[in-house]
Amino acid sequence: MKIQVRLATQRVDPSVAINYRSPKIFTPGEVITVQDEFMRGHGTYEEDGYLKSSVAGVKQQVNKLISVRPLKSRYNGEIGDVVVGRITEVQQKRWKVDTNSRLDSVLLLSSVNLPGGELRRRCAEDEHMMREYLQEGDLISAEVQNVHSDGSLSLHTRSLKYGKLSQGVLVKVFPSLIKRSKTHFHNLPVGISIILGNNGFIWICPPINNEEDNVGGFVQNLEEVIPRTERETIGRLRNCILALAQSKMLLYDTSILYAFEESLKYSVSELLIPESMVDVAMSTQHRINMLEND
Amino acid sequence: MPVDNRRITVPENTTCYNLFTKSKSFKNRCEHFINTSGKRPDGRKAEEHRKIFLQMNVVTQAKGSAYIEVGKTKVIVSVFDPRGIPNNSDYKQNGELYCEFKYAPFSCTKRRLHQQDSEEKQKSLIMKRSLESAVCRHEFPNFQVDIYALVLENDGSTLSAAITAAGIALAQAGIPMYDIITAAEFGYQDGTYVLDPTSQEERICSVTMQENNDSANEFKPQGIIILSMLLTHQQVSGFHANGNLRLSDVNNSFDVISRATADIANLVKKNLVKQVIKNVQENAIKK
Amino acid sequence: MSLCEAEKTFILHGVEENFRIDGREREDYRPMEVEIGIISHAFGSARLRLANTDVLVAVKIEVDTPYPEKPSQGKLDFFVDCSANATPDFEGRGGEDLATGISNSLSDAYRSSKAFDLKKLCIMKGQKCWKLLVDILLLECGGNLYDAVSLAVKAALWNTRVPGVKSVGIDGKNVELNVSERLNDCVPLDVSGAPVMVTVCKIGEYCVVDPSAAEEKCSSAALVVAVSQGNITTVLQGSAGSLHPTTLMDSLGLGVEVANQLNIALMETLQSAPPHFDVGFLK
Repeated sequence: MKIQVRLATQRVDPSVAINYRSPKIFTPGEVITVQDEFMRGHGTYEEDGYLKSSVAGVKQQVNKLISVRPLKSRYNGEIGDVVVGRITEVQQKRWKVDTNSRLDSVLLLSSVNLPGGELRRRCAEDEHMMREYLQEGDLISAEVQNVHSDGSLSLHTRSLKYGKLSQGVLVKVFPSLIKRSKTHFHNLPVGISIILGNNGFIWICPPINNEEDNVGGFVQNLEEVIPRTERETIGRLRNCILALAQSKMLLYDTSILYAFEESLKYSVSELLIPESMVDVAMSTQHRINMLEND
Repeated sequence: MPVDNRRITVPENTTCYNLFTKSKSFKNRCEHFINTSGKRPDGRKAEEHRKIFLQMNVVTQAKGSAYIEVGKTKVIVSVFDPRGIPNNSDYKQNGELYCEFKYAPFSCTKRRLHQQDSEEKQKSLIMKRSLESAVCRHEFPNFQVDIYALVLENDGSTLSAAITAAGIALAQAGIPMYDIITAAEFGYQDGTYVLDPTSQEERICSVTMQENNDSANEFKPQGIIILSMLLTHQQVSGFHANGNLRLSDVNNSFDVISRATADIANLVKKNLVKQVIKNVQENAIKK
Repeated sequence: MSLCEAEKTFILHGVEENFRIDGREREDYRPMEVEIGIISHAFGSARLRLANTDVLVAVKIEVDTPYPEKPSQGKLDFFVDCSANATPDFEGRGGEDLATGISNSLSDAYRSSKAFDLKKLCIMKGQKCWKLLVDILLLECGGNLYDAVSLAVKAALWNTRVPGVKSVGIDGKNVELNVSERLNDCVPLDVSGAPVMVTVCKIGEYCVVDPSAAEEKCSSAALVVAVSQGNITTVLQGSAGSLHPTTLMDSLGLGVEVANQLNIALMETLQSAPPHFDVGFLK
């Protein structure tokens, strides 16, 4: 029985930034520059010939396009992003999916692979069967197919790697902490698969077997009991990711793997204690710095 | 507190005249709690439940209703048809129960107000929790069933009587249920326990008394336990305890209460069957 | 929040393995953080953070007349405010049921004079008494509310100082009360018996304590046990669901055991607290 009651004076600072100059942060209404030669991007507006920030965040400049990226925001989808989402509603010919963006995303019945192969025709019966495939509360991995003018996303799962998720753990972090990379599906060498959704939802699960078993991805194996070792690894990864997220560190396969290795001196439940969380984040940051300096 | 201005209320700051009469001291009353021959003031043994009278179909407008008398305690419970959950847009997989437990203004020594006070709200919640696991709630998704319990006369163990009666009323209203639900109450004071306490005994059981010896922080165990059981499934659907009880006290009392609920359950079953037979006979006569 | 069947299965198997999704064992608590004396206008206050659950408790003291039925006892009232800051579900009357549930369970748990002796709050029999108004504000809800609230209330009462009374006299019909203004004259409350509540959740065939929000979704029944110095003061059901009699007794036993440990841990921390420190709400 482990019980720990701490005092607020023992609170630790999760920041791991050492000798690191923080960039200028613009506040809403602050003048960024004179309008003339620049283009107005996201998070900015134009007034009296000046370009001003509309959110609190850091400036990003691509050629002549200036945008301000907010420090903390919901997920702004882009075509091709990998997301993890939760079904919130079953409607006519479509599912509503919570993807941590401002509006619920849409998954059309026509943009999923139904069991029985890609060339299967969709019939009226499929519409009645929709709740059989995906029901409220189910988790899916998907790709952003289209971004509508109001910012809502439409998703598709027309690839064998996407679809319904089975046993595992969902961790939610800020979307801005997920580093964009070529692949967001990783089979970590510790024997666990991980999906880093661009929307900040991270799925940790036992290794996904070869994709042949994965027919359309509507099967959940509820009988299978995950062995203890895998379960411990999943729990450790979960706590490591939360430790990194608390220290506002970017999440990608290397950083997560480093954190995992650094955390091995603690037991999994010890990783819930703030001191060890910061320690893991610190050592991870240190190793990343070393890697970059080499 | 919100005031109901459609009603004429009595002045709030009145006191019951009993406080000014010269009653026996508390100690004195406790000594009469159980006398030497093991009998309680009303002649019952410690583990003896009061006589129960049951009647169904007492409210013609309700889908199902039951009237229960346990000694002097009298409770009416009525159950109404399932209806859509008001002010709710989400889809709910399980149907809801809405319970209202109310003392009639004249039911206790002190006059009760029309508005539910916090004790009544608490009892409504206990009642709801106990009944929830007896009803097949998945059979009416997005609907709620209203259950109203009104205590006409309070002579202790009102909540357990209300839960038992609600179980009968639900069964009689044709709401799908897993099992018959019955409840019993149990009082404990300083080593002596009583099943189905009267309001007098309830009052004695809800006071913590200090041990007579010098240490000021030693208190005698005391308390009231309400238990509702699903008999055939052997499941506790509701458990509520209050007071200052040792774990062993709870353990020991459990058998006594569960036996009492089993006895009541048999009575309830008999009555439900009788009611069905009566209905069949009436229909036969009509034909 | 909803969970899919596969996630529930994962949690369930974890509980059976005695290795929960965050690595805890069935009887482990998440680390919690407590802070006392943070509201300057209150006579005692505390804030407790348990994972994502954040509770702020402040105690106000007023002079009142005792109830005629209990002339030699003071008064203790609990008010729970489910702030809409915690979750938008609490907007309007949304949190009302939860609030009455918690405040009723607290007043039940504190009713026994073993838990809290109201006689000590009496100033003059039948005439004047102290009334403690305990305001509980839920700043954030992340599961396991009852435990967090009861601990925060205990910490706040521990921090509470009742003003010292210099003299009481009766002048005709009026009671004259002379209360000391000096801080040194204030008396701390005796909270050694103040109950600690433990929610025991039944997940699958096992019982766990300190359930996270996801685990609460998987539980088939929950029992809240309030324990004061090893004795049970209140037992109530935290959610719908039924239990087998043996499970009931086992979970009561577990609840008592855990509550005792929790009480020791809390009191140790409170006693180690430096007299004046302010951290506030920075997190």
